[in-house]
Amino acid sequence: MSRKTAIGAILGLFLWSATGAQPSQAAGLTIGYSDWPGWVAWQVAIDKGWLKEAGLDVSFQWFDYSASMDAFAAGKIDGNLMTNGDTLVTGAGGGKGVMIMLTDYSNGNDMIVGKPGIKSIKDLKGKKIGIEVGLVEHLLLLEGLKKNGMSQKDVTLVNSKTNETPQVLGSGQVDAIGAWQPVSGQAMKALPGSRPVYTSAQAPGLIYDVLAVNPTKLAAHKDEWIKLIKVWDRVVHYINDPKTQPDALKIMSARVGLTPEAYKPLLKGTHLIDVAEGKKVFKKGPGLNSLYGSSKIADDFNVDNAVYKQHQDIESYIDPSLTAAVK
Amino acid sequence: MKRKGWFQVLRPLSPRARLAFGTLSFVLPIVIWCIVSYVPAVWHPQMLITDPGSIDYLQVGMRMNKAAFAEAVAEAESEHKDPPKGVSSNPIYLPAPHEVATALYTAFVTPSPTKDSPWLHQSLWHSMQVIFWGFVISSIFGVPLGILCGTYAAFARLNEPFIEFFRYLPAPAFGALAVAILGIYDGPKITIIVIGTFFQQVLIIANTTRKLDGGLVEAALTLGTKKLALLTRVVIPGILPDLYRDQRILLGWAWTYLIVAELIGTTSGITWFITQQARYQHFANVYAAIMMIGFIGLGTDMVLALIGRRLFPWDRTLTKNA
Repeated sequence: MSRKTAIGAILGLFLWSATGAQPSQAAGLTIGYSDWPGWVAWQVAIDKGWLKEAGLDVSFQWFDYSASMDAFAAGKIDGNLMTNGDTLVTGAGGGKGVMIMLTDYSNGNDMIVGKPGIKSIKDLKGKKIGIEVGLVEHLLLLEGLKKNGMSQKDVTLVNSKTNETPQVLGSGQVDAIGAWQPVSGQAMKALPGSRPVYTSAQAPGLIYDVLAVNPTKLAAHKDEWIKLIKVWDRVVHYINDPKTQPDALKIMSARVGLTPEAYKPLLKGTHLIDVAEGKKVFKKGPGLNSLYGSSKIADDFNVDNAVYKQHQDIESYIDPSLTAAVK
Repeated sequence: MKRKGWFQVLRPLSPRARLAFGTLSFVLPIVIWCIVSYVPAVWHPQMLITDPGSIDYLQVGMRMNKAAFAEAVAEAESEHKDPPKGVSSNPIYLPAPHEVATALYTAFVTPSPTKDSPWLHQSLWHSMQVIFWGFVISSIFGVPLGILCGTYAAFARLNEPFIEFFRYLPAPAFGALAVAILGIYDGPKITIIVIGTFFQQVLIIANTTRKLDGGLVEAALTLGTKKLALLTRVVIPGILPDLYRDQRILLGWAWTYLIVAELIGTTSGITWFITQQARYQHFANVYAAIMMIGFIGLGTDMVLALIGRRLFPWDRTLTKNA
C-alpha cells in the first residue's frame, strides 16, 4: 500500500462514516421526557402509533431529567414533562413554562427511608437525614415533620445526591434518607430491615407531574396540545385497565430496560391522572388536591430554601383551559 | 531468549517475549477478577438470600452483609422458626466474568426494546460518529494552529497563554450553554468533545513541533530555502510521524469525554445504555458496555498504528517500543 492509497483509504472511511451523522430535526412539536413512570407512560402512545392516529406531529425526546430542564429553559424543546415545583424553578430562571395538563402525582414512590430501628417520623427527632437539599424529597420530609408536630429544627440534614442515598444509608452515618424510586427501593434492598417511614402516598398531591409547554408554542399550537391531552386520556385508561395493563407494562419496562414484573411496583407508586380527574385538580384551592395549592407550597418552599429569590405568580404558570376543552 | 534479556534498558524485546507480555497484560487482570469472583474464600463480604425463611423483611435475591445475616439467622433460631438461607456473594457492583460475557453477548443480539429506539450496535455507531466529528473539527483548527505556534514564537505568545488558561475549564461545564446555542441533538455533544480536545491538541502539537531537530532547519536555510517553504517542506514533513502519534493519543482523549457529552441534550448513544443500566443496578451490562468502548478504542488505535507504520516507514519509534 502506497502512502497515497493509505491516506485515500482513511479519508474514504471518514467520509463514509460521515453520511447520516446528523440526525433529522423534527418538524413538529418536540417534548422532552425522562425516567419516571408517569412520563414513560407516553411510550404506550408512541409505540401504539396513537399520536399519528390523532394526526399529531409530535416527537418525544428522551433526556436525563435535569438535562431536559436545561433544554426546555433554553427553548430548544416545546414542552417538557416535569414536576410542578421544577416548572416554577425553571421559570424563575427565565425558561417560563405553562402547565397545561397533569400526568400523575407520586403515590408512594417518593419516600423517607429509616434505617432498621427507625419506625416512624417521630423516631427521627435529633437524628441525621441524608437528603438532596432543595429537591422534592426535602419538601416531602418537611411535610412529614409538620404532620408530626415537628420542624426542620428537630433534625439534622446531610446534603446528599439522591442517586447516592443507598450508599449513604448503608454507611450508617445517617439514620434516614429521602429518595424516589427506583433509588429508594435500592436503598431498602441494600439495607434489609430498613423501611419507609413517610411516603408521598401520605401526602398525595404534594408533587404533581405535569406537561409544561413553552408559552409561545402554547398559543400557536393550541389545537395540537388539546389533541395530545386526548391521547393521554387514552393512555391512562389503557394502563389502568387490568386487561391491557400487561401490554402497557411491557412497553414501559422496555423503555427503561427492566422486566415488566420489576416495573410493576414503580407504576403502583404513581397515580396516573386522566382528563376527568385532571379537571378537578385544575380547580383553584388552597390544599394539595389543587394544582394551585400544591404549587403555592412548592413556591414557598423554593423561596425559603433560596432555590430562587422572588415568589412566582402561580396563576401565570397554569392554564386549565386546554384540559377543560377536552370533552 | 535469555532471561536477563528482558530487563535491558531501552532495548526492544524479542517478538516472542513481546507477544507473551502483551497477552499477560490482559490475562493477569482477568485471572485476578476470576479469583475474586469464583473463590468464595476470597472477599465475598455478603450473603445472597436464596430463601428468606421466616424473616419477613428479606426477599430472594437480596444481598446483605454477613454480620447482619448471622444476626437474622440467630434471631430466627432463638424463636425456633425457619432461619433464612443464602450463599456467599460479592457486592452487586462486582459481577463475575461469565455474567459480563453473557451480558456482552445478549446486549448485541437483543432487538431494541421499543420500536423507535436503536439497537445497541446502532447506538455504538452513533457514539463513534459523535467522537469522529468532534475530533475532526478539533483537528481542522487545532493541528494548523499547533504547528504555527510551534514554528513561530510570535504565534505561540499570542495564543498559548490564553489556551493554557482555557484548557483548565472543565468541558462539561459548557453543557447547558452548548444546548442553548446548538440545540438538543448532536451539536452540543460534538462541541463538548471539541472543547475537551482542542486546547490540549494545540499545546501538544506545538511542543512536538518545537522538538524538531534544529539541524534540519539550519541545513535548509544554508541551502537557501524560502520562509514559507521552510514550513511546508521542512517543518511539516519533519514532524509528521510525531504529529500522527500525537493525534492517536488525542483521539483516545476525545473518547474520555463521550459519556458527559452524550448526557447533554437528548440522551443518546452508548451512554443511554450505560446510565440506564446503572440506574437499575444491572452492573453486568454496565461493565459490558465499558468493555465495548475499550475494544473499540484499542482496535482503532491498533489499526492506526499499523497504518502509521506504512505511512512513515522511516520512523523507527513506531516499531521500537509500541
